[in-house]
Amino acid sequence: MEVFSLLNPDIVALILTLKLALTTCVCLAFIGTPIAYFLAFSSGKLNPIIESIITLPLVLPPTVIGFYLIVFFSPDTMLGNFFILVTGEQLIFSFYGLVFASIIYSLPFWVQPLQSSFEKVGVKTIQTANTLGAGHFDTFFNIILPLCRRGLLTSFILSFAHTMGEFGIVLMVGGGIHGKTKVLAISIYDHVEQLSFGKAHYLAGGMLLLSFIILLTLYISNKNISMRVK
Amino acid sequence: MASLFVQIKGELGSFNIDFEHNFQSDGITVLFGPNGSGKSTLISAIAGFIQNIEIFISLNGTVLQGQKNIPSYKRSIGTMFQDPNLFQHLTVNQNLDFAIKRIKSENIKNYNITKIEIIKSLDLQNILDRYPVNLSGGEKLRVALARTILSQPSYLLLDEPMSALDIKHKAKLINFLRKYNREYKIPILYVTHSIEEISQISDEIVLILNGRFIENGPTSKILAGDHFQNLVGKFEASSVLEGFVSNIKKLYNLTTININGQYLIVPGKPGILDDFVRVRIRSRDVIITPIKINSYIAENILVGTILTIDIEKLSAFSELIVALENKENKENLQILRVRITTYNLKKMKLSINKKVYIYIRSVSIDRQAYQYD
Repeated sequence: MEVFSLLNPDIVALILTLKLALTTCVCLAFIGTPIAYFLAFSSGKLNPIIESIITLPLVLPPTVIGFYLIVFFSPDTMLGNFFILVTGEQLIFSFYGLVFASIIYSLPFWVQPLQSSFEKVGVKTIQTANTLGAGHFDTFFNIILPLCRRGLLTSFILSFAHTMGEFGIVLMVGGGIHGKTKVLAISIYDHVEQLSFGKAHYLAGGMLLLSFIILLTLYISNKNISMRVK
Repeated sequence: MASLFVQIKGELGSFNIDFEHNFQSDGITVLFGPNGSGKSTLISAIAGFIQNIEIFISLNGTVLQGQKNIPSYKRSIGTMFQDPNLFQHLTVNQNLDFAIKRIKSENIKNYNITKIEIIKSLDLQNILDRYPVNLSGGEKLRVALARTILSQPSYLLLDEPMSALDIKHKAKLINFLRKYNREYKIPILYVTHSIEEISQISDEIVLILNGRFIENGPTSKILAGDHFQNLVGKFEASSVLEGFVSNIKKLYNLTTININGQYLIVPGKPGILDDFVRVRIRSRDVIITPIKINSYIAENILVGTILTIDIEKLSAFSELIVALENKENKENLQILRVRITTYNLKKMKLSINKKVYIYIRSVSIDRQAYQYD
């Protein structure tokens, strides 16, 4: 944080944003991938319920999610209490609070492309690998993941971009503390509030360009991008 | 002799299956039944992919499913589904290596088939570096078969593997499977609903209908039996004659087959000299007479005795089963189904045990499953 004070506040926000997006994606790889796998290959009665819950962030106003997260993060709850025990810090208004919130609202962006990618591999291909002597982990890492690398890239890029761009939840949960929870989207908001349109232009333009480049990369590398709201 | 015992009972979705049979054969057993009769379900169960219903499976005395459950990747059963299911991200060579790397150690002693041999006999030399997306349907199938065989299974399950192949490639692959089965003594359970494939490949047939075992037995007996004929419909009813190639007339492109001392001339070249071949003859293509008539009518005149006569009350036709006269191997009874009008049956005054002359025109013989040069 010492280094941050020497830097331009906007650069600090940029670094923080990238760090948040990357951390979120790493966490999603471990959380979202098994969920996508489960949804793709199990035909359980719970599937529609799980899918609905995961897709909720796509349809809910960010303020609703933000509100519930604040309630959920408060030191009175088990999670909030546990976090204070471990780190000595409140989960709310902290970077990890942001990561936690980002995981939840970016979950559908990780799960859905990967799920449809898993479904495309098909049960028969997996069974064929099994009959050739490959166990479950062997099949997952040597057949399914390589076949789904495009789906994985799609999941990564969408989750990354979405995390970078989120505003409402981040403001409610993080509070926009400089060097800690103030991401680019909030910086732009602050600049506009202070009527410094010039600075806002730089950041907004930068975000626009970056988002366009990200999506362009995605569509060039993968023509079958699929996002569904069931 | 290999023994694969399968018992499966329960509801799968809306499908009710109740099947029990001990597959006892070292040869090629064809599992035959109409679409939706449960053939693929049975294959899936043996391979280890059906868990939630009552299943007992044992292979040569070892229980695979029942009191305990050996997962599919630990069963020494090679399975090939209808679709070749090649791994798209791997080249042909890498697909083959995938299987070789995972040979179960206890299976290595089963037999020793090398990659080089199998690549040669399935003609894969020129496509080893290609990705599946650049292969034709026939090539994909051959790669899948090679891959399954290289996993060195002690039992092979093939679920309608050739439904997408043309006749020429089918015959080649059938020949390969027969040779593989004989040389390495690996029993094959082969699912199909193609009559041509059955008559060329099977040593034994197991009939399945509506999830139930119907009957089993040697190919020619089952093909001539009522269950089978009912399944395929009377119009396409047929019988299969077996014999050895005894003469090839190159000039006329004809082949003579010795069927227990009687001779059948067929078009084309179903095999080379002394090859064992089967010929399917449709019931409606056969002419029978109680007395010998002009031999110019057809290339083939065989002699036989009427075993049964079935007069169909509701149609104009009668079905006869004729046993061919046996001049060599007395054990081997060859049966011919004949379909004629009841009017003609009465006119000729045919009855059971009567000797008849059988006329078969070579042009009417089904050439579909012959092997070409």
